[in-house]
Order: sequence, then C-alpha cells, then structure tokens
Amino acid sequence: MTTEILDLNVNELLLIPALPLIAALISGLFGWFLKEKLSHLICILGVVASAILSVHVFCQVVYFDMSFYGNFWTWIVSDTLNVPIGMMIDKLTVTMMVTVTVVSSCVHIYTVGYMHGDKGYSRFFAYISAFTFSMLVLVMGNSFFTLFFGWEAVGLFSYLLIGFWFTKESANVAAMKAFIVNRVGDFGFAIGILAVWYYFGSVDYATVFLAVKGFVAQDIHMYFANMEVSVITFICLALFVGAMGKSAQVPLHVWLPDSMEGPTPISALIHAATMVTAGVFMVARLSPLFEFSEVALATVVVVGAITAWMCATIGLVQNDIKRVIAYSTCSQLGYMFVACGVSAYSAGIFHLMTHAYFKALLFLAAGSVIHAMMHEQDIRKMGQLRKYMPITYFTCLIGAVALAGIPPFAGFWSKDLIIEAVQVRDMGWVTSFAEFALITGVFMTAFYTFRMFYLTFHNSDRVDPQVKKQLHESPASISLPLIILAIGATFAGLWGYYSLGMAGTGAEAFFGDAIFVTDAHNPLITLEAHAASHHWYHFLLTLPFWCAVGGIALATFMYLKKTKYPAKIAAMFPWLHQFLLDKWRWDELYQIIFVQPARCIGQFLWQKADLGIIDKGIIHKGVVDHILAGAAKMRAMQTGLLSHYAFAMVIGVFSLLTYLILKA
Amino acid sequence: MQYTLENLVIYPLIPEMFIALMAMFILLLDVFLTDAKKKLVPALSILTLLTAMIISFCAVGDAPVSAFFNYVIQDSFAAFSKGLICAAGIFTIVMSQRYMKGESHLGEYYVLILFSILGMMLMVSANNFLSMYLGMELMALSVYVLVGYQRDMLRSSEAALKYFVLGSLASCMLLYGVTFLYGVSGSLHFSDVAKALSHHEAQTSMAVLTGLVFIMAGFAFKVSMAPFHMWTPDTYEGAPTPITAFMSVAPKVAGFVLFIRVLHDALAPMLNEYVTILSVLAVLSMIIGNLAAIAQRSIKRMLAYSTVGHVGFILLGVISATEEGYTAVLFYMLIYLFMTMGVFSVLLLMRRDGLKGELLDDFAGLIHVHKGYAIAMVLLMFSMAGIPFLGGFWAKFYVFMSAFNAGYTQLALIGLLFSAIGAFYYIRVIKYVLFDSEREAFNPLSDKPLQAVLVLCTLFVLVSGFFPDPLIKVCQAALVGFI
Repeated sequence: MTTEILDLNVNELLLIPALPLIAALISGLFGWFLKEKLSHLICILGVVASAILSVHVFCQVVYFDMSFYGNFWTWIVSDTLNVPIGMMIDKLTVTMMVTVTVVSSCVHIYTVGYMHGDKGYSRFFAYISAFTFSMLVLVMGNSFFTLFFGWEAVGLFSYLLIGFWFTKESANVAAMKAFIVNRVGDFGFAIGILAVWYYFGSVDYATVFLAVKGFVAQDIHMYFANMEVSVITFICLALFVGAMGKSAQVPLHVWLPDSMEGPTPISALIHAATMVTAGVFMVARLSPLFEFSEVALATVVVVGAITAWMCATIGLVQNDIKRVIAYSTCSQLGYMFVACGVSAYSAGIFHLMTHAYFKALLFLAAGSVIHAMMHEQDIRKMGQLRKYMPITYFTCLIGAVALAGIPPFAGFWSKDLIIEAVQVRDMGWVTSFAEFALITGVFMTAFYTFRMFYLTFHNSDRVDPQVKKQLHESPASISLPLIILAIGATFAGLWGYYSLGMAGTGAEAFFGDAIFVTDAHNPLITLEAHAASHHWYHFLLTLPFWCAVGGIALATFMYLKKTKYPAKIAAMFPWLHQFLLDKWRWDELYQIIFVQPARCIGQFLWQKADLGIIDKGIIHKGVVDHILAGAAKMRAMQTGLLSHYAFAMVIGVFSLLTYLILKA
Repeated sequence: MQYTLENLVIYPLIPEMFIALMAMFILLLDVFLTDAKKKLVPALSILTLLTAMIISFCAVGDAPVSAFFNYVIQDSFAAFSKGLICAAGIFTIVMSQRYMKGESHLGEYYVLILFSILGMMLMVSANNFLSMYLGMELMALSVYVLVGYQRDMLRSSEAALKYFVLGSLASCMLLYGVTFLYGVSGSLHFSDVAKALSHHEAQTSMAVLTGLVFIMAGFAFKVSMAPFHMWTPDTYEGAPTPITAFMSVAPKVAGFVLFIRVLHDALAPMLNEYVTILSVLAVLSMIIGNLAAIAQRSIKRMLAYSTVGHVGFILLGVISATEEGYTAVLFYMLIYLFMTMGVFSVLLLMRRDGLKGELLDDFAGLIHVHKGYAIAMVLLMFSMAGIPFLGGFWAKFYVFMSAFNAGYTQLALIGLLFSAIGAFYYIRVIKYVLFDSEREAFNPLSDKPLQAVLVLCTLFVLVSGFFPDPLIKVCQAALVGFI
C-alpha cells in the first residue's frame, strides 16, 4: 500500500549485509582449509567493503537527501499475513549502518592481533562477520519481522561468542545466562510484534506508521490482566520489554556484566557498540508508536534512569577492568533510553553513535591491556602500565575523557544534550527523578572511569613480576583500531553536533522524517531556542560539566595523591561497599526467585516423574521387559528341529480351518 | 476355447522362452569354456536377464493378453513384477562374483538362478492353477539346489534339506487345496473358479473352505508368513549370502504377485474368509518377525525375521484389496528390493581376517574403518526401520494408509506398533556401526561391483525418500490392466 522509494542503488544496498554474510560462510565452512591468514583476510575484506559502501550510502542519504523503501522478496505468505523482505533506508538507518560497520571493521582488524593463535580463530571471524550481517539486517529491515530476525540473530551470535571459549565453565554459564535473560525480553518483544500484526494487519513499518494516527483517534482499548489499556501502550510496553532484555536495562541487565567472559573484541563490538544499542534503535525507529503513549514513554524514562544510576553506583567499586566498562555501558544505555523517553530520540541516537566509538575504544584498550597482562583482568594487579604501553595509554585516556563528558570530546556533546532535554521536558516526578539520576550519574561516571584509568596506568606498580617481564605495547593490528576509534571518540561529538545538526529540530533537523516527534513533546525545540543566546563557553555554566570535572578531580585525589583513602572509605561503610560489590544482589535475588524453584521443579520432574515413573515403571518394567520376554519365547520356539517346523505348519492349517468352519 | 493349434498363442511368452533357451545355451556353453573364459557365464546371464526384462516391458500393451489357451496371461502387472525379479537376479549375480569364487561348477549356479527366475516369471503370469504350480515348482526346485550349493558345508546342506522337506510339504498342501477347488468348479482356470464360487452355497461349503485354507498355507510358506515361516531363519543362515539376498526378494515378489492374482481373479467371492485368514497371518507375522529379530545375534537370521515382519506389513496392502492397497504392495516390494540388496551387499563387503562377517558384533565401529559403508548401512537401516525421509518410510506409510482407508484401522494400528518395536533392532545395528568401538581389526573388501550395488541401492533409497511420487505413479500404471 505504500509507495516505493527507490533512490538508492538496490545492488549496493544488498551487498552491504551480503558481504559479511558471504565472508562468514566462507571462513566458517572452510576455515579448516583456509588457515588463519586467509580466514581473517576474507572477513576483514568483506566487512571493510561493507563499511565503505555504508559510508557511500550515508553520504548519498545525508547530503543528497536520497532514501529507499522497497521489498525484494516474499518471505512468508499465510492467509492475511504477508511478510516481504525489504529495506528502509533513511538517515536513522544510515547512522546505524556506518556506526556498525566502522566499529565492526575496527574490531575485525583488532581481532587479528588479539585472537592470534587461538584454536577457534576462523570460527571467531565467522561469528563476528555473521554478527555484523545480523546487525545490518536488524537496522536495515523495513518490517517488524526483519527486525525480529536480526534481533534473534544478533542474540544467537552474542550467545555463541560469549561462550566462545566453551571449555571454560564460567563462559558457558554466562552464555546461557545471556541467552535465557534475553528469552524473557524477546518473549515480550514477540508479543509486541504479534499485537502489531493483530491490530494493524500488517508488519511493515510504513503501513503501520500510517495507520497509527487513525488508531489513536479511535482510542482503541484492550484488556490485559483485567486492566483496560490502550492498545498502543500495550504494544509499546511489550516491545520495550524486548529492548530491556537486549539493551540490558533493569531488571534484565544481569547478563551484560557476565557476558564479559567472552573475548574482549566481542565485548567491544556486541556488548558496547552495537547489539546492546538495538533496543535504543528500536525505540527511535518506532517513535511513531511510542509518541502516542505517555505511559510507555514514562516507563522508558524511569527504567532508563534507574539503570543509569544503579549501574553507575556498581561501577564505582568493581575490580575487573572489563566489568567496570560493562556497568558503564549499562549506565550509558540508560542515558539513551531516558533521551528516547523524553522524546529527544535524536539525542539518544546521537549518544548511541558517540558511545559506540568511545566505548568500543575503551574496551579495545582494556583488551590491549589484558592481552599484554597475559589475560589478567583485575585492576588491583595492574598499575604504572603507561610506561610500557604508550599508545594504549593515550587512546584509553581519550576514551576516558570522552566517557566522562569533557568537551570537546564526543561524550560531552551527546550526554549534555540528553541532560538538557530532560531538564526542559516536564513529565512530573518522572523527569525530576531522571534529572537527579543522570546528573549524579555523570559524577559517578567520571569517577569510576578515572578510577579504573589511574589504577591501570598510574598508581603504584602492582604487576606480577612474572608478567612484567613480558609487558610490551600491543602489535599494530591492535593499536591501529585504537587510533581510528580514538579519532572517532574525539571528533564524533563535534561532527554530529555542528556538522550534522543532530540536535536540530523540524524539517531541517538531521533525522528529518526518520524520527517522528510531536511538537508538544519535543524538548529540542526549546533547547534550540535557548541555544541561540548561548556563547561558546556555555558548557562552563552547566552542572553536568562541573559534575564530570568533580568526579575526575575526586578520582585523581583518591587514586593518584592519597592512595590510602579508598580502603579507608570502604572500611567506613563495609555494608554499602559489599552491597555495591555484590551488584545490588540482583543475582542472589534471581537465584532465590527463579533459579532455585525452576531447578526444584526440574529435579522433581527428572528424577521422580521421568526416571522414576516413566523410565523405570512404564518403559522398563512394562514395555521393555515384556518385549524381551516375547523375543526370548520366539527364539525358544525356533528349535532347529524339522519335525517341529512341520508340526507348526500343520497346526497352523488346522487351527485356521477350524476357526473358519466354526465361524461359518 | 478349442485346444487347436490356431488358438495356441505363444508370442506373449517370448521373455520366458528367451530365458529358457538362454539358460540351456549357457549350460552347454559352460562345459566348453576354459577356466579363463568362465567369466563369460555370469556376464551372459546378466545380459539374458536384462534382455528379458526389456522384452517383458516391450511386450506389454494396455490390455492383458493371454496365451497358451489362457493358461498364462501377460499384463503390465506381470511385466512390472518380472522387472523386479530380473533386477533381483542381476543384483544377485553381481553380488555372487566375489563370494562364490572358488566353488566348483559355477556355471550351473548361474543357470539355476536363471531357471528359478523363469519359474517366478511363469508364476506371476499364471492364469491357471496348473501353470501356477508348474512355475512355483520350477522356482522352488532351483532354489533348493542354490541354497545347498556349498554342499561341503554342513550348514548349507542342512538349510537346503530343511527347506526342501518343508517346501514339499507346503507344495502338497497347495496342491491338495487346488484339488478341492477343482472339485467344486470343474476347472483350473482362475476365472472359472471365480465363477463357480460366486454362488452362495459354494461359498459356505466345507470343500471350498478347506481348499481355501490349504491354498493359503501353500502361499504363506512361499512368502514366509508366520506360522509357516519356521524354515526362513535356518535357510537364510545356511544359504550362500547372495542366495539369501535373492531369496528374500525375488520369490517374495513372485509369491505376492501370484497371491494377489489368485485372490483377485479366482478367490474374490471369498473375500470375507480370506481376509480373516490373512489378518491372522499378518498379525502373527508382524509379532513373530519383529519380536524374534530382537533376540538374534546373527545378522542373517535377524534379516530373516525382518523379512517375516516386512511380509506382515505387505500383507496389510493385500488385505485392503483395493487399488490403493495393491499399489502400496508393489511400491513396498520395489523399495524392499533395493533396501535388501543394499544391506546384503554391505554384509558381503564385511571381512575379518578372511572370515565372512555375519554377526551383529562384526559391525562394531564400522564408521572408524570405512565411512562410506557405515553411512550406507546407517541409511539402509533407517530406511528398513521406516524413518522419514527414506524410501522405507513411504513404503510403510502407503501400506498402513491403504489398510486404514479400507477400514482396517486396527490392523494398521498393530502394524504401526510393531513397526515401532521393529525399529529397535534396526537402530541397534546403527548403534553398533556408529557408537561402538572397533573390537578386532577389520579389513573390509573394496570390491567394485559390490560397491556399485551398494551405492545404487543407497541412492535409490535416499532419492525415493524425497521423491516417492514418480515411483507411486509407476506402480499405479502397473495395475492398470489388472484392476
């Protein structure tokens, strides 16, 4: 029903996801034959080519205002359900495409150095290339079904990659945890999609978005658990449950820190830059739905704010270098959701983009450190590494200031925009709470980032002497991606803010029609009005900036000057310290509520019902014993004596005859 | 019909006559050939069978043609079964090459195979109890000798003797039954018998019932239905393995086709009675075949019981007595031919220190020794067990379906149940092949003709599993002139 827009070259668009897929298939199926060098070459070529094409498409879309909406194939036809496979390319999509392919390229190159010599080398490349394909399908699709396909596929590769070192018990457990927690989210997501199909009769974006307004005008309600809710609210909340799972929002955040069991390159690619941001992308993509549900928007803000604050507090005390960054990721995702919740979707996507660069950078830098430290991840056993690893040190510093939110680095621009949007938008207690959470969050973010940074690169030297002998800067394949991403982490904010105008509004705004915001909601309009009167040094007057500076200063004081203080403070509040170290005890809570009852039921059904009753009782005593007894009897009848055989025949004839005559 | 020379139509019998002449020619030729040229005999035999097969197919038109004063009939039904029988003969000759090497008087061996096939071809074309009996005895006598061909082996002689004695008993029963029908109808032609039986008082007479039961018993023996199957395991075990393969397919095909013809052409008025008898025999066969196979250690004995089980399943199609049922029977036999030949060729390829591997244990760890044989064996066993999507699955599916559609729901359910039980011993073989560790060193043969048979059979089972439709169409076409 929607008209097709075919400005862009179809083949080029198809190649973008196809190249990584082909590369993945080749190195996955023939990795044993190709050996390391060819495997990584094919995958890197595929992804880099895909990145170049993405940039080309990006330029076409952004600077020449082209777009694409069309279907290629039919996937499912069943009665009224018709699911085509197609693409929807607009500014939102291309931003995601470039982010995904560029970070993925960096990670591919980085992997060459990081995974060198690993048994599953080509398998790893196959997975990350296939992941890139899935993520591209997720963002480029034009229907809820392609979104779902990509959604599940990235989940699958996330699972496979977390459990990549499958001989490690903890990696397997973490992979399962990630998968199961995501199942909960995806259940909601699937229900949301089915509800969309049920109420709109279609699953492609254009049709649904067009129908929403009429739908809102009719104010259609439904009953859920005996409560009357608006259909749009139900759909949005169900879909958001999916986003909570994938983007690790409270209470479904527990899998993300554990996913750090996977190799570091995938922590950077999947669990920082791309997959976990799929939830944010989804909310922005479906802004025409979310905009019409105040309840859903408020839920998004509250969940995002809680996550942003809570994960920041946990990050303050963690000792595993990757876990600190992982909690920071959760927290930053919370920021993005708050932005979406207050209808500043473009700010959310802006932060998504900048975050992808600096967080991938931080992870890769952490990976570089871990690589040099012979897989030691505890920051208490590091220190003074700047002497040995200058490139890693400097790039990590850039990542850290970008994350902390110091201008002109990337993080500042997007984060500041989000906080200002929250300040402007009035949603009652929801925004007040969010404002408090985000601003204190900025302070904590700056503090834990630099705590980690100082403990790793400065502070006292606590490195194991054995390891110290081998300490050296990582090879070029590792430092090159660090440098590329450092450039991104430095300039992405400025570029997005000034050049692309991601903070803009109305028709001339960067995202234009890609994101739908009602004027009454849009906080960016007010901000734009304010911005006209601002000077270049405006940031000096904002609270978030001074919070960030304060956080860094406190970290400098505690971990560079008075290095005895942290232990003392921890001793002063042992309960609180332990509570934060235990990550607010979510795992323990889930253990009691879900895991143990499920195990009890499973144990009962397995031991008592299955083994006890069915196996022993019915199968063994009943079926098997009788069949074996019958077989033995049959065997005994076969005596080998001719007379017995003849006798059987004669008996057979006469009993049949008798039977027939009696019956007649 | 007048028994004059003008009425003696003989041309429909060209395939049979061709085989008879060629068999005698080969017998003579064999005497004059030097040892180096003895290879000519099997080659010529295969050529004979191929030609006979082609002639049979060519000679058949849309309408049935009768010959020899209506003593024999030539239709597509017969031609199809002749094709199966000749194919089984060709497989057997190919498989015998290696196995029978070193036996004396091999020429006679091939000639006997040809004569038994001639007998079977007469059987499937029979339109009269006399020609039927003639064909049956020709087949039986040749096979008795083939079973005991390794006469210096005690097991082989014992098998032949048992088979011969019991076979004679069965022949007597059959002949005895035929005399009753002759007494009632005054004719040995199938159609005359049917006419005589169409009266109600004839149907209930003691003579007819007795005749029916005895004829059934004779047939039941030939296709090894329980309880007339007792000879099967002993004979299968003792016979040379290629002959075992031959016996488990060709006489079964001939027997069933003849059976269907007699039931449909001569005994149709006795439908209720014969269905009762056959139902009992079918259930007994399924029970005994599938249960006893579980207790076997020798794979040849296991396959013997498996044959009994399969016969029970095929009987369901005969019992339904519909076009669908007969189609299912033909389809089942077609698939069964290839499955059985495949399994036996694996069996022939097994060697351990020069001994022939015939125990289940001998298959332990086959996957480590020879991947190809192991995969083929796994596929064939899965097919035998009726696992989708392999040929064996569709064979069982159509048979059960026909029984179900003809209203024999209980029989179909019993069939399903025993097919599930039967899956056990097939899958046990797979377990040996795939999961057990090798017990002693294997040295499997690499014999090109045998491997070719194996590959062909496995491919057939595999492909027919995915595309059963063309084969079903062929089977339906075969029945056009008959029903």
